[in-house]
Amino acid sequence: MIGFLIQRLLQALLVIVAMSIIVFLGVYAIGNPIDVMIDPASDQALREALIHRYGLDLPLIQQYFVFMSNMLHGDLGESFIYRLPVLSLIFSRFPATLELALTAMLIATCLGIPLGLWAGYKPDALSSKAIMAFSVLGFSVPTFWIGLLLIMTFAVELGWLPSGGRGPVSTVLGMPLSIGSLEGLSYIILPAFNLALFKLGLLIRLTRAGTVEVMSSDYVRFARAQGLSESKVVGLHVLKNISIPIVTVFGLELGSTLAFAVVTETVFNWPGMGKLIIDSITVLDRPVMVAYLILVVFLFVLINLVVDLVYGQLDPRIRVKASS
Amino acid sequence: MKLNFKLGGALAAALLAGTMLGGSVSAQTLTMGLRAGPDSIDPHWSTLGSQAEALRHIFDTVVMADENLQLKPGLATSWKPVDDTTWEFKIREGVKFHDGSELTAEDVKFSIDRIPVVTGPMSMTIYTKQVKETKVVDKYTLHVITKAPAPTLPNDFVRLFVVSKSVGMDARNEQFNSGKAAIGTGPYKYVSWEPKGDLVLERFDGYWGEKPHWQKVIRKEIPNDPARMAALKSGQVDLVNYVPATDYAAMQKDKAVDTFIADTVYFFNLTPNVKDTLPKPVKVEGKEITENPLRDPKVREALDLAIDRKTLVRVVLEGLGKPANQLMPTNFFGGSKSLPERPYNVQKAKELLAAAGYPKGFEIDFFCTNNRLPGDAAVCEALSQMWARAGLKVNANALNGTVFFPAQQKGEFPLWMSGWGTLTGEASYTYGSLVHTADPKTGLGAFNKQGYSNPEVDTLLEEGARTMDDAKRRALFEKVTDVSMNDRALIPTVQLQTVWAAKKGTMVIPPRVDQETLAYEIKPKS
Repeated sequence: MIGFLIQRLLQALLVIVAMSIIVFLGVYAIGNPIDVMIDPASDQALREALIHRYGLDLPLIQQYFVFMSNMLHGDLGESFIYRLPVLSLIFSRFPATLELALTAMLIATCLGIPLGLWAGYKPDALSSKAIMAFSVLGFSVPTFWIGLLLIMTFAVELGWLPSGGRGPVSTVLGMPLSIGSLEGLSYIILPAFNLALFKLGLLIRLTRAGTVEVMSSDYVRFARAQGLSESKVVGLHVLKNISIPIVTVFGLELGSTLAFAVVTETVFNWPGMGKLIIDSITVLDRPVMVAYLILVVFLFVLINLVVDLVYGQLDPRIRVKASS
Repeated sequence: MKLNFKLGGALAAALLAGTMLGGSVSAQTLTMGLRAGPDSIDPHWSTLGSQAEALRHIFDTVVMADENLQLKPGLATSWKPVDDTTWEFKIREGVKFHDGSELTAEDVKFSIDRIPVVTGPMSMTIYTKQVKETKVVDKYTLHVITKAPAPTLPNDFVRLFVVSKSVGMDARNEQFNSGKAAIGTGPYKYVSWEPKGDLVLERFDGYWGEKPHWQKVIRKEIPNDPARMAALKSGQVDLVNYVPATDYAAMQKDKAVDTFIADTVYFFNLTPNVKDTLPKPVKVEGKEITENPLRDPKVREALDLAIDRKTLVRVVLEGLGKPANQLMPTNFFGGSKSLPERPYNVQKAKELLAAAGYPKGFEIDFFCTNNRLPGDAAVCEALSQMWARAGLKVNANALNGTVFFPAQQKGEFPLWMSGWGTLTGEASYTYGSLVHTADPKTGLGAFNKQGYSNPEVDTLLEEGARTMDDAKRRALFEKVTDVSMNDRALIPTVQLQTVWAAKKGTMVIPPRVDQETLAYEIKPKS
């Protein structure tokens, strides 16, 4: 078990090093961040002075090692744009993204799995066909377009929900969250549903495919022969046996939702991390870009680790293999 | 199914009630949906336009600019040159900071001294670079001694925000962002802010100027255009800025909104690279040639003649612009009133190209941004089609600003279009930077990447920079405008216009050429 964890951590380190090199080279290839930020009224001397002040005149290798050694001391640097420590800048945005991503995953899971089970259990029913048609829409229509439609319908035309932004926050478990109040919830419904649509479509199809396959297997027939109720057959035997791929996809989707909810965040003006990273890219705020991507790598490694541990809980065969 | 609908409606109604209770709608509160906001609450951190726009509510500047960017008294009631290198500023008496202390010349001196210590990558030192030292003569008199004659110093001080001396030299962005050091003399007090989030302000009752109408102001940052427009339509905000041209057309028919249009300081200018060799050679009938055709004034005139500016405005910008014949509005200091409107004549353009030795035209790469100003990429593509009519093959490349600016700085473009705004309201800012020969020693020509060099223009600009007499200086800069525009050092195309929109019948938004949305200038509709 410990060997397994160490192996995972080493993998994460390798990915982080590789990724930081790519970001450094990428920004270097685009050009000098000062040229994007500088005021048009500046003269040449000021430009040189600024480039020197931010160490951008050093050879790239040296800039990289300065950054890496600072990082090993736990200092990811300060944003060029805000002069705030990068970590506190990113973490100030984290709760907003976290609650949005979790609400979206909750919607996707609570709707997607039951709908998928139904569609797999009764593949020929009209309702199942409707569910499948809906799932195709879910992941084929662009997110930003659906987002705008949702805003036009529920905010502008009907006036039921706010068109964007985040509701008032209150501190829940030490984090400033907006889902604690009814008003806060009214702000999160549209963006969360928008973000959930793609995952919803994916989960429906995944669950249905698994269910169709498992329903014709021997143990389901034996379970039925044993006289178990249909709800027990589906809820216990079927669900458990199709859960491995669902958990995998759930983990991956959670990670990518946390890291890249940027389209939804932009359309709904949600003050999350995705907007921060896009803004940083447009002004080449390199410290924020690098630090953010490093955190994303960590996040993915962590989620994959949890997914692996959950496998063991779901399927004893995997647990046995790991220990042997 | 019917039941579900009812349930959904009830749920939504309950949520709506929650929204209503929380966001107490008061006539005294102004909620603005704006495209951009500040990067910090420290007014000396960045020269970014949206930064100045936001912080003007909290801090006042020494000199202020009216809606046409011409100077008017601010924290200084008057200013005059005492000798060639000394400006005397009389500081307004009886001005209170938000903490109750009184403004004196010491605070202004402190603010000037503070800038080089704390400013960031968009360095504010451009506004103090002419200053050698400052001397407090008495409580309300300040002498600013400049390195050389500096006739434009009052223009620079339009961006000189005054902070209280009591914040001390050690206060940085954190102290300002938390509100602790955000002590100004402006019409509004700081309440709260987060990067890219809302800036909340409250009226300062001890303000020296006219009392603003709105008691509470919330500046919401909504960079995405459709999201900002939706926020207005759904009633979440009272006004929005930077209405896109397509929405403007629809809003004029919409009975629920009022629109306000204004000319801006932003112009789209073409820049032909006139260096001996181009970074990428042009092609004649598929073959690269070594010479640079853009060095020939006839070719530059042909490029100019082939531009149909009226069509650019009407079709490409959907009416939100005006044809331009120079790089800034004519009523700015040094703007030329004698330049004629630029004609459109494809036939003559063809003849000029033939006379220059390119009867079959040539092929050239053309660059512009696609995300910096409204319509930039569309204008760029339209231009390349207009030139095609004159027999040129122009490959338009619309790039993201992140890629465009570093490449422009490196001199990688043979021909490009960029937006430029004369934010100081006078000519030396624009022409000194764009058409003076690039000279790192004097700091002039910093953005002259096209290699344009005309001794006459250089002499006029340098003379203007040391002429303290306003009338004489104005004449010199008008000459600079005339000569460089006739030379086609840059080719102006269109001046952009901007639009605000607000809920019908609620307020009057005074148009400003700098496109700033200032809560204290917005009056309720009576």
